[in-house]
Amino acid sequence: MSSLEDERLARVALVAVSEPGDPRVADQVTTFGALEAHDRIMSGYDVEGLQTDPDVRRAVTDPAATLARAAELGVRFVVPGDAEWPVQLDDLAAAPPLQSRGGVPLGLWVRGPVRLDQLAGSVAVVGSRSATTYGADVAADIATVVAETGRAVVSGAAFGIDQAGHRGALAGGGTTVAVLACGADRVYPAAHRQLIEHLAIHGAVVSESLPGWSPTRPRFLSRNRLIAALSVGTVIVEAAIRSGALNTANWAERLNRHVLGVPGPVTSGPSQGVHQLIRSGAATLVTSGEDVLEAVGAAGEHLVPEPRGRERSRDRLTTRQQQVLEAVPAVRAAPDASIARTAGLALAEARGTLAALAEMGLVEQEAGGWRLAALAHE
Amino acid sequence: MPFATAHTVSLHGAVGHLIDVQTDVSPGQVGVTMVGRADTTINEARDRCRMAIINSELDWPSTRRITILLSPADLLKHGTHFDLAVAVSVLGAAGSVPATSLAGTAFIGELTLDGNLRSVGGVLPMVLAAAERGIRAVFVPEPQAAEAAMVPDMSVIGVRSLAQVVAILRDEDVPDAAPVAPMSGARLLAWRGRERLEELDLADLLGIADARYAVEVAAAGGHHLLLSGPKGCGKTSLVERIPGILPDLTRDESLELSAIQSLAGTLEPDAGFPTRPPFAAPHHDASKASLIGGGLGVVRPGEVSKSHTGVLFLDEFPLFRSDVIEALRQPLENGEVTIARRDESVTLPARGMVVLAANPCPCGDYSSNVQHNRCFCKEAQRRDYRNKVTGPVADRVDIVRNLPPLRKKDGAADLEAPESSAVVRARVEAARARQAERYADASWRLNGQAPGPVLRDRWPLTKVGQKLIDDRLYEGRLSRRGATRVHRVAWTVADLRALDRPGRDEVDTALRLRTGEPLLLAMLRRAG
Repeated sequence: MSSLEDERLARVALVAVSEPGDPRVADQVTTFGALEAHDRIMSGYDVEGLQTDPDVRRAVTDPAATLARAAELGVRFVVPGDAEWPVQLDDLAAAPPLQSRGGVPLGLWVRGPVRLDQLAGSVAVVGSRSATTYGADVAADIATVVAETGRAVVSGAAFGIDQAGHRGALAGGGTTVAVLACGADRVYPAAHRQLIEHLAIHGAVVSESLPGWSPTRPRFLSRNRLIAALSVGTVIVEAAIRSGALNTANWAERLNRHVLGVPGPVTSGPSQGVHQLIRSGAATLVTSGEDVLEAVGAAGEHLVPEPRGRERSRDRLTTRQQQVLEAVPAVRAAPDASIARTAGLALAEARGTLAALAEMGLVEQEAGGWRLAALAHE
Repeated sequence: MPFATAHTVSLHGAVGHLIDVQTDVSPGQVGVTMVGRADTTINEARDRCRMAIINSELDWPSTRRITILLSPADLLKHGTHFDLAVAVSVLGAAGSVPATSLAGTAFIGELTLDGNLRSVGGVLPMVLAAAERGIRAVFVPEPQAAEAAMVPDMSVIGVRSLAQVVAILRDEDVPDAAPVAPMSGARLLAWRGRERLEELDLADLLGIADARYAVEVAAAGGHHLLLSGPKGCGKTSLVERIPGILPDLTRDESLELSAIQSLAGTLEPDAGFPTRPPFAAPHHDASKASLIGGGLGVVRPGEVSKSHTGVLFLDEFPLFRSDVIEALRQPLENGEVTIARRDESVTLPARGMVVLAANPCPCGDYSSNVQHNRCFCKEAQRRDYRNKVTGPVADRVDIVRNLPPLRKKDGAADLEAPESSAVVRARVEAARARQAERYADASWRLNGQAPGPVLRDRWPLTKVGQKLIDDRLYEGRLSRRGATRVHRVAWTVADLRALDRPGRDEVDTALRLRTGEPLLLAMLRRAG
């Protein structure tokens, strides 16, 4: 057996005896390599500070059988060193833990055809589970635009914004990947069975937890760091003051990824967390998928045209011309002498300017003098 | 006995009064006097009845003084349907028919000079009113017997001529007569509009979850609804699907609707009772009279009344004339409409749900997103338009929804197919059943019609729910009228969820529906 396969088995064993995102386990693996870390932890040596007691679960651990059973469920275990390994996750090694979670995952359990190394330019779309229809619409639109450029959309398959993000990406005909807190073979939330099964066939369902494991609160926190680490930027659409999406944003910031916030009405509770992020400078304000692409793309790749009002016929006039135009009555024509007086200009100059304005179609001459033409009203 | 009384009914709007036509035939200066605030059409009855009686080969007491009283005398009366009662009353007083045979019977119909009957409008509400006053038999022109027979426990006698009426009253063989022409013109066009709407299904509409839910709540509680959004965002398609999610009419609703249709002359008695709620979508050129009701003499119901128990859809409602919009206040607020004429004012029911649709600007292309803005309206035009949308009428609307512009095709539609009208209708029916049970002893049927004080008193919200409303009130973000409407909508939201009392979530949803704020997705999920 190759050493990579040995290492894979060692990592399965470590996954089984620890909790996802235990920074101490990740540290040991980074320092000593997976095989040695495995031996140290399994032999009970240097297990101080671990969040779980490895002894408790070791008895029921059979890495080879676990892998075989996972394969039967259509779940593969991707580890560092595999061609498929998303190398951007290695950034987690340098990031300090947050709420006692952190570190590079031991490996990722994946169900679905999408290869994780394709997620290099992906964008995460996350937000509140108690989202509003406004938030869901915006999230879906952003995901659609992102997906249409070939970038994958990563989210957590939760209610609200997550679901809208996945659906938007599907609508854009793009790739989308769900990172779950439970085992990749399981479905959570149960109401999203259809969505998650769809992703398992057309995208990918990813988890750090052993197949069969249930979603617990700490596992959600660990999961959030993966969503942030997998993507180049995280878009937060709606997040209340205490929200898992803010945890994801926090991770994105720690990993030097782009943190992008979509504002909502200032009176809206579900948008408060995002507003706070933007106000504190942690997030960049985005309003559309195009804005997101500009932020996460290479410099100048997706420049968004600056929004500006429609150009009006008066915009290009010189100061003199504007001065005269203002003096021309709208309804009843006035003689050029009167217009010159109102504009405060010499008669000859006013006449010349009027002729120029008439050429542009802004004024018209009548029996009694000059008046505004229809074009000037635009 | 030179004295007889025959009964008939006088209509004031949809309210019918039982009228006694009393005739006294006694010696004196020869002539016919008619007293009791009769209008010209009834005064003409003297001549029509006289000729009809003579041409029916019956005795007109031409050598005596005939006094006809329409009692109660203070009520203004109009219409040609008094003819039959007047003629029968005269004949009773003259002894041509037994005066006792007139008791407990009402007579409705217009006479021609040859003694035949003609159809008249409003037979159903007249017979309904008569039934309430204890009348158990009614004579009506033959084509309208089916209409009158809609009233339970009423023995209806359809007749063709005065001679037939007299024969029946005398208990003799009934002579033959020429058939009576039906009132309305023949139905020239087999118009299929109604059926078209019934075939539309909500399953065809992708997205707009927010507005779909708003429509469901509005249909369940009979709430007025304002939809705004750019041209082509699906407002009209959505509204046209409302009839499809409304339950069948109850018997009472059906009867009320028939009475209004009878007044409007649009009732088709052969079709039986209407079972489906009406849908009216008048164009914005409509006059005040056509929308609210009006007419000379007899008041014709307008679209607000014709859509009673159903849906009145005013598309592009800011384009309606200002006086029409102003006139909508009362029906929106009270579910009835009062039409004042020179001599009287009548009140007609108008308890349909009113759906208003508005564009963001007169041309409909305005978008706050500058990249999508194709609007060429002037700022002043836009302002005027918006003022109409936010005016006093909009304040009387329970539910406000802003639809987003049409979005990219929902490619994930196969993941979650939109609900069909049948599914939504089942929920609406269940919610209406809960309301029917709750308001069994009340004069209204739906939350949207419940009076505010009674609701607060008998069907309050939970404490936390009420607090949510009070907070908004004190912050000045909600008017008193708004608070009542939120209370009503909260009950409907609770009814749709089969809850016993609206709590925090229901009030929150109702507040969002009322103010146009986006809904919480979690609430939509629980609905479906």
